[in-house]
Amino acid sequence: MMLPSSFWKKSHSNFKLPGRAVRLVALLLLLGSSGYVLYLDITIRDAFEGRKFALPARVYGRALEVYPGLKLAREQFVGEFKSIGYHENPQPDEPATYKNTLNGMEFTTRDFVFGDGVQPAQRLRIEFADGKVSLLQVRGSNDVDMPLLRMEPPLIGGIYPGHNEDRELVRIGQVPKQLIDALIATEDRKFYTHWGIDPRGIARALYKTVTGQRIEGGSTLTQQLVKNFFLTSERTLTRKANEVLMALLLEMHYSKDEILETYLNEIFLGQDANRAIHGFGLASYFYFDHPLGRLEPQEIATLVGMVKGPTVYDPRKHPELALKRRNVVLQVMVSQNVITQAQFLAARREPLGVVQRAPAGTSPYPAFLQFVHRQLERDYREEDLRSEGLRIFTTLDPIVQHQAEEALASRLAAIEKARKFAANTLEGAVVVSSTQTGEIQAMVGGRDARYAGYNRAIDAQRPIGSLVKPIVYLTALEDPHRYTLITPLDDTPLVWSQPGTTDWKPQNYDHQFHGQVQLRTALAHSYNVSTARLGIELGVEHILGKLPLYGIERRPPPFASSLLGAFGLSPVEVAQLYQTFADGGFRTPLRGIRAIVTAEGKPLQRYPLNVEPVAAPAPVYLLTTALQGVVREGTAQSLSNWLPAEMNVAGKTGTTDDLRDSWFAGYTGDRVAVVWVGSDDYKTTGLTGASGAMTVWGEMMKNIQPEPLEPAMPENIEMVNVDPVSGLRYDAGCKAGVLLPFIKGSAPAESSHCGASSADRSGTKPEAKPGTEKKNWFQRLFD
Amino acid sequence: MINRYAWYLASAWLLLLAGCAGVSTQPSTTAATAGAAPSGAQQSGEGAIIKAVPKSAMSENKAVIALLDRAQIDNESGQREAAGSSLERALRIEPRNPWLWLELAQVRLAQGQYAQAITLAGKSNSFSARQPLVQAENWQVIGQARVAQGDSAGAEQAFKLAAEFAQQAKADADRNSGFNFQ
Repeated sequence: MMLPSSFWKKSHSNFKLPGRAVRLVALLLLLGSSGYVLYLDITIRDAFEGRKFALPARVYGRALEVYPGLKLAREQFVGEFKSIGYHENPQPDEPATYKNTLNGMEFTTRDFVFGDGVQPAQRLRIEFADGKVSLLQVRGSNDVDMPLLRMEPPLIGGIYPGHNEDRELVRIGQVPKQLIDALIATEDRKFYTHWGIDPRGIARALYKTVTGQRIEGGSTLTQQLVKNFFLTSERTLTRKANEVLMALLLEMHYSKDEILETYLNEIFLGQDANRAIHGFGLASYFYFDHPLGRLEPQEIATLVGMVKGPTVYDPRKHPELALKRRNVVLQVMVSQNVITQAQFLAARREPLGVVQRAPAGTSPYPAFLQFVHRQLERDYREEDLRSEGLRIFTTLDPIVQHQAEEALASRLAAIEKARKFAANTLEGAVVVSSTQTGEIQAMVGGRDARYAGYNRAIDAQRPIGSLVKPIVYLTALEDPHRYTLITPLDDTPLVWSQPGTTDWKPQNYDHQFHGQVQLRTALAHSYNVSTARLGIELGVEHILGKLPLYGIERRPPPFASSLLGAFGLSPVEVAQLYQTFADGGFRTPLRGIRAIVTAEGKPLQRYPLNVEPVAAPAPVYLLTTALQGVVREGTAQSLSNWLPAEMNVAGKTGTTDDLRDSWFAGYTGDRVAVVWVGSDDYKTTGLTGASGAMTVWGEMMKNIQPEPLEPAMPENIEMVNVDPVSGLRYDAGCKAGVLLPFIKGSAPAESSHCGASSADRSGTKPEAKPGTEKKNWFQRLFD
Repeated sequence: MINRYAWYLASAWLLLLAGCAGVSTQPSTTAATAGAAPSGAQQSGEGAIIKAVPKSAMSENKAVIALLDRAQIDNESGQREAAGSSLERALRIEPRNPWLWLELAQVRLAQGQYAQAITLAGKSNSFSARQPLVQAENWQVIGQARVAQGDSAGAEQAFKLAAEFAQQAKADADRNSGFNFQ
């Protein structure tokens, strides 16, 4: 390492100093300043080396897979284009451009590095008919049909280094010569010849300062870089002196190209909410939405002009000032022969051409990003997340997310209005996942979905009330010798004493007791008393002990009241619970991340689909039938205001004491979704599960257009026509009967004449046919 | 008896070595019959009927077929992770397609993730009512995974079921002359 002090000494060696004392003082000063310079040297080199590679992790949403037959409307596809920054162009042959045609669009994709390799840009055509993709082709001299297109995934956020700095790292070779020339012509014409400072500039600045005029620049690019490393608004002579020294030191250690490259990546060029835009690479995307290599002369001039004052000359906030500044730079460019006179004239005529885009801040989906970040923190060091430029591919589906956000905000506002609540008294959270893969498609942490604060979807643990009941009923249905969908349950007054608690006297929501009710009816109407009796009969510990099986780690208190949901879970935990019911007894851990790739595009980690069989398919099938009954004829009947009966939705309402929490959890053929509505301060809202959360759920699902629920029927299930009241078997053709699934061997044996239903027989317990030998359910699965 | 289990082990080992245990159904069925021929399937004399299943019978969606093709290429070159990733993409399009779950089960089997292979084959079974051909393949996977886990009794039971379903598939195919399974 070259000693910085030697340099210092050299520049002072010509002074003649009279007298010993003076020489001693000078020596001491020299030593002292050498030490100081050494300190500055270390500081600036640390900054230079450290900053060179701090790249944020980029988080992407799911890549839309497009294929003929996909349910996708043209407007949704335009929305997708917007989210990945495509723009309209009458000649859509450049990457990220599109044009509308009669039935669809022509467009060109970008190169994109996925976890499984590069997907090159392609010129394509798409057409739509009846809300579906009807044609997908590669455009060429001969158009060729394409089976599948994976769009580039939308960038949904980043995990940023330091003070939320974001940048797109560029090598000096990737930067257009025109930009470098324009920058040097405008900011520092002697860059390639000076050694870090411009003495005339400094002299001028010094003169102005001393004569009481304002303290001003005269900075070389090197000095500006130093200034950028230690961003402060302080303008003092000391700081200026440090800056000069550090600039000199930088020039001693690094080549001009290294300094210029770092400058190009480091310079602050704007603010996007709480995200700082650093460097020309990112600024090029941020303002013009294309890479550096494709910048036009006037766009280069705009960016170079911003160096002088990124806030003052922000082309979005102050377009007139930015335009004026741009034209000044263009003038410089032509006078320094960076562009020709013709280019100059053409460029001056162009508008600013900045893409209008709402500032996204750190992420438009803060709740989901937080969920992803927590998952990442388990596997990675925070500093790596913030500096290694990892690319994180997630499961978020912006189309579903948008519907979830809209439904929550609009329904809560509507409820407040209808019930004359003060505005913004209600809060809520939504989680939507895919049934078969457990991928989280949407997560809303509160009605202001952009607010990056309290995330109710993962952090609010609210009593789940009746949402817990399916566990009780599933446990019962797992024993087909004792329980079927039509087994009568006892819904008469109950007093339960348990050491350690006061006597427990559960009540039904309607404050009535219903005598003998069929199991499916008790669940459909969410009767508390019969459920409590059933749960106690099966064993409180036994039922609660099953929670870990369904992916719930939290252990509720071992009291009978827990059977009615007197314990808190977060919406995402409830989604995990219902995922197993929706997926026929297979538990798939909910996932937010699919894969992580290094900055260079090398696969680092995959989060593969993982499936665990935790409940036998047949009882789960029965449970789903019962939960479909909740929607068809039970507490969630009014869901039909949103979704047609053919959807066959299975779901459960949840309402807690004094109407503090309103829940709905349910599933369609392809999605599991959970909604919670309540107030953050645990005040009563007057809402039941059906009047609050369920309306959000319905509104959201209506717009998502889910697949109808048709669970695969396990082989040990048979459909039997029974009298809906007595539960006795009818002939298959009897129209008065109801067709219900039974685990083979458990259907009622006793039959009745068609239509002989009578209420007085409803109490008789239909005989279960015994005889099936007891086997582990997993063994039965493979029978 | 012991001899037969040695065969099971040997055949499973061969499959792993050849890297073709997880090959998608077209070759995998051939692989299963070729590699696992000495196993239960052949002993009961039915395994040989499962030969090539045309991709068009696995899905009507060309996107899914394209992904299956891709998974197959990746799997053949030992890129199991990539193959799994393509299959997951296909499953997002057709989450209830038993062939896709079967393929994924085969990839996991090739990766040595036996418990996952068994579960995924079981999941495929849950979607393959009245599709004995897929079920036969699933039981084949379960059998091989059980062999690798050292569960010889379970493996034998699985291979027996595989043979039964294969026979059923053959009978179906014979009935339906329009659909030729060879």
